[in-house]
Amino acid sequence: MLRITRQQWLIYGALIVASIVVLYPFFFMIINSFKTGAEIMHTPNALPTEWSLRGYIDVFNSVDLGRIFLNTIFISISVTVLNCLFSSMVAFAIVKTNMPGREFWLKMILSSMMIPAILFTIPVYMMMYDWGWINTYRVLIIPGSISAYNIFLLVQFMKQIDNAYLEAARIDGASEFRIFFKVVLPMLRPALATVGILTFMGAWNDFMGPLLYIRDDSMLTLQMALFKFQSDVPGGKLEQLWAMTTMIAVPVVFVFFFLQKNFIKAFTGVGIK
Amino acid sequence: MKLKQNWIPYLFLTPWILYFLVFLLYPFFLSFQNSFLDINVLNPENTRFVGLGNWITVVADDKFWLSLFNVLFNQIIFVTLSFFIALAAALMLNEISVLASLFRTILFVPVITSITVAMIIFDFLAAPTGPVQSALVSSGVMEQSVFWKFEQWLPMPVIAVFSSWKWFGVQMIIFLGGIASVNKSLYEAADLDGASWWRKVTAITLPMIKPQIVFVLTINIINGLQMFVEVFMNFDLQGGPYNAALTPVLYLYQTGFEQMKMGQASTIGLLLALIIYALTMMQIKLTSKGDH
Repeated sequence: MLRITRQQWLIYGALIVASIVVLYPFFFMIINSFKTGAEIMHTPNALPTEWSLRGYIDVFNSVDLGRIFLNTIFISISVTVLNCLFSSMVAFAIVKTNMPGREFWLKMILSSMMIPAILFTIPVYMMMYDWGWINTYRVLIIPGSISAYNIFLLVQFMKQIDNAYLEAARIDGASEFRIFFKVVLPMLRPALATVGILTFMGAWNDFMGPLLYIRDDSMLTLQMALFKFQSDVPGGKLEQLWAMTTMIAVPVVFVFFFLQKNFIKAFTGVGIK
Repeated sequence: MKLKQNWIPYLFLTPWILYFLVFLLYPFFLSFQNSFLDINVLNPENTRFVGLGNWITVVADDKFWLSLFNVLFNQIIFVTLSFFIALAAALMLNEISVLASLFRTILFVPVITSITVAMIIFDFLAAPTGPVQSALVSSGVMEQSVFWKFEQWLPMPVIAVFSSWKWFGVQMIIFLGGIASVNKSLYEAADLDGASWWRKVTAITLPMIKPQIVFVLTINIINGLQMFVEVFMNFDLQGGPYNAALTPVLYLYQTGFEQMKMGQASTIGLLLALIIYALTMMQIKLTSKGDH
């Protein structure tokens, strides 16, 4: 039997109000994406008098959305795959080997998270400029192919893997590489899902990287394309802007509702005490 | 056999060592070196040594200190506001079981939305004719709508409200994790003593989730003082007519990528990193007072 007390009814009331405040902006975005430009200007808060697909049709004709989606997917998947591989390799070295100085390396990785990223913006830009990496995909992929936070998360997960599995494999004569790929990585799958989602989201939503490094319109990512569209036509083509914003926001929210447990695990950092 | 095996773990560590050398240590060194040079990536042959020139220019520039003031002003509002919203949400979610996970998921949606999308929507919501200002004017809270971007004191508080909406979910989740790990017998003992709900929150929950609170504050300082996209998308590189939205990173961007003064921009980066580091340490010292 479920009993809901008076205090709990108040809490439900408050949570419903909070949910409306949180979701209203998305509702506002969606209803405006189905209006015509004039209606968006004059009655931004009302429902559309006539549901129009004009914005969606026009934005497909004026922006190469397919290409932009592909660019973003390619970059985000590359970053995620490399980052999961490299970060778990490092976590493996720290947790599951007899390497001397493991504590030192872990401390070094953790303290690197305390350095504000802004310190590296200018010098890394100059490096990339010197290497001729401006306007390439790799400039958005390689620097993101490993991260201290992911190593930290994977170290927490890897500690929970029983050493007996590794010992058994070692007795069977398996090499460390075999153990890493055949024993540890498969057992780490749930952890990699969490770390992967976090990394993918970071790459998908990245703004500073494409802003600094991408010049060519054929290499734009979603966030940059949206930003450019907004700043190129301030106040104009509103129905297209709302259609584009909706198309970029809604898939992410959908994916989130399916994978929310993994998202939330990634943000709580598992072992934070 | 043993000797041959010894180098293998280092092979697994290689990605980190390479990353550390190429993307952390070398840029750090470069940044330090740049701060003593007058340098433009487009004409590297004109590079010259200027000694402490960049440091003096930056420290003597009122705009740098104004940008720091702006971002601190913004953070004080954001940290307070988002802390109370997140704490309230976490405490409420902890009291219910039916639909708790649905509400938790909904309240987390702004966090996973990209800042570009969120900022475009917010720009319209907060516009003088948008729904928020219309409601405030018609309900008599505001006398007339304002162009907040062109005011002297409004940009930072308005952005702080936006950031609280966008980010309170992360803090809420972290607090929820902390609350879940509090020993239930503490609450049972308090119930026996007839303690009120509020008394239990202040005497048990808050002290027990102090590590989470410290963690959240640390993250807020490191990320918050580096605010960029929010102001970059809404204002010119000067941060509006009163420089009211000029943040240190916007100032760095303007110096490095508009004026092409890479040496001076490196100096701003170093100085800001130093300030953030000092504030983080100070905050950890202050909050860990009384711990054993």
